[in-house]
Amino acid sequence: MGDQKIHRILMVSDFFYPNFGGVENHIYYLSQCLLKLGHKVVVMTHAYGNRSGVRYMTGGLKVYYVPWRPFFMQNTLPTIYGTLPIIRTILIREKITIVHGHQAFSTLCHEALMHARTMGYKVVFTDHSLYGFSDVGSIHMNKVLQFTLADVSQAICVSHTSKENTVLRSGLPPEKVFVIPNAVDTAMFKPAMERPSRDEIIIVVISRLVYRKGADLLVEVIPEVCSLHPNVRFVIGGDGPKRVRLEEMREKHSLQDRVEMLGAVPHAQVRSVLVSGHIFLNSSLTEAFCIAILEAASCGLLTVSTRVGGVPEVLPDDMVVLAEPDPDDMVQAIQKAITMLPKLIHKSCTLE
Amino acid sequence: MDISRSGNSSPTYPKWRKVAYGGMQPGYDDNHTDESFLEGMVMNANVVKRDMLKVMQDSVSISQYLCIVALVGLVWAYTLRSTLDENSLLLLDVSLLGSGFLILLFTEEMRSLNLLHYVLNISLFTTGLYVLAPIYQTLTRSISSDTIWAVSVSLLLLHLFLHDYSGSTVRAAAALKNPTLTSCISLNASVVASVFIASRLPSRLYVFAIMLFCLQVFLFAPLVTNCIKKYSFRLHLFFSLTLMAVTLGFVYQLHQLIFVLLLTLLVFVTVVCPYWLIRIQEYKFEINGPWDEAKLCFDITD
Repeated sequence: MGDQKIHRILMVSDFFYPNFGGVENHIYYLSQCLLKLGHKVVVMTHAYGNRSGVRYMTGGLKVYYVPWRPFFMQNTLPTIYGTLPIIRTILIREKITIVHGHQAFSTLCHEALMHARTMGYKVVFTDHSLYGFSDVGSIHMNKVLQFTLADVSQAICVSHTSKENTVLRSGLPPEKVFVIPNAVDTAMFKPAMERPSRDEIIIVVISRLVYRKGADLLVEVIPEVCSLHPNVRFVIGGDGPKRVRLEEMREKHSLQDRVEMLGAVPHAQVRSVLVSGHIFLNSSLTEAFCIAILEAASCGLLTVSTRVGGVPEVLPDDMVVLAEPDPDDMVQAIQKAITMLPKLIHKSCTLE
Repeated sequence: MDISRSGNSSPTYPKWRKVAYGGMQPGYDDNHTDESFLEGMVMNANVVKRDMLKVMQDSVSISQYLCIVALVGLVWAYTLRSTLDENSLLLLDVSLLGSGFLILLFTEEMRSLNLLHYVLNISLFTTGLYVLAPIYQTLTRSISSDTIWAVSVSLLLLHLFLHDYSGSTVRAAAALKNPTLTSCISLNASVVASVFIASRLPSRLYVFAIMLFCLQVFLFAPLVTNCIKKYSFRLHLFFSLTLMAVTLGFVYQLHQLIFVLLLTLLVFVTVVCPYWLIRIQEYKFEINGPWDEAKLCFDITD
């Protein structure tokens, strides 16, 4: 790295391992990359269960689990000044030069940004999700965001749609907002050495089974596709409150042998589930970026996704079939994807 | 991820595209703001242009309910002064019950089948109330009348504030939607207020009569007025205006200050508020865009 300045970066978010999700992954991988470039990285999050205090992770990544208990959706109680002493101590002890906050609804992130800015540090904020403007929760969030981002040095969004959303919500000048899409570790997500057989087409779904991820769309789409294509099988990975509905659907249409429910899939095993399939189906109702379809594409799957949020920006047109979040349109998209499959597999064969 | 980059090797930079793949687009920084920025934003897409007359007509149902509650208050006042005796109160109950039934029968035909069921339910309900009347009568003996009045008035205000003016908490058996929490709280507040008022009355029969009256009005008046409204809007307007006139007449006889207050309230609700609503419409600012959460176009039955 030689002449380039070495930074000492503090990542702050309520969301970090052992909690699991896109933000947590992002912070971890970003920190690893920064460490590889020779920078010093420290992560600050709240305590998870009895995991409290300082821990070290791969590559000397230092993690502070601040002993504040979460009170709502893994968020710490907003106190404005309650976290000032510990944030100040960490900033000074680790000789931090840049503070990087993640996720708009993390209270810890907002407080850290505010205190760091007051102490004269440069702060960067990354927004990972999209918000509306109409419901009470969003209005409140947007006001908080306007307040803390008023003096932020730079902001990062994960897609152009997310940038538009953030600019509108926070009132930041668009020049201050950078679009840096999420990345996927292609060494971890590589296609299978042997292509899955073409006797039956396997459609993989890996997502939390909640309303926002469109689990209700799956309930409508799966029986329809199964009745149209007798050689299609579904593999559903993930857990959540909507799992019961999916299982009900499976019983009702007697699809037990055609729809496999795996339950929660650990991130380390996602690849092995992905490579067993031909098509990846994403049914989210809102998505700032959607790393899942990127992981699927990286594993060599053709992707069918709803056209929501930043999803249309993620993959080139020949790698994804987009559909409106409507069961009929999604069934058509899946059919189109099935007709596209042989060509795609033929192409990959010629590449090899 | 390098597939799309190979095409961009020409020295003149290609046009910026709104895509996140392919790495940095040559010639454009990460914070590049294209002229297509916020192209997908739609403002005030769902705003309904409101018409003064329509809003005024809609506000009539609120005034109507205010009048119904005012009439209940009147009956309370007259009963507590013993101007209204038990027998006339019972007569009032029976006539209200009868007229309410007739209105329901005329406006919704399919109910006639369940008539026996309804009669059975009502007789059970009345018997229960009659048995409980002695308990109600002595319920608040140790509390002063002022406190009871104050609590009842505040409960009624709460009732009016949370009342579901667009529907009715008590619904037909085949109603699709469950009543909301606020409308349930509102209904309960009104019932508690009636129990408090009833507990100040001298005799058991009085308590029974007034409780029956209050429950009839608070439980079923919204249902009946809703049926009238659904049946014919003109009838609804006529009914409401008559009700308002009658209420104002009675209140005038009771107390002139309350009359002035009620009149002001009714004018405020039917004239000032609609005008106000239409005036503040111009400040309406609604933003929609590609970032909005998609709405499902089918019903989810959990």
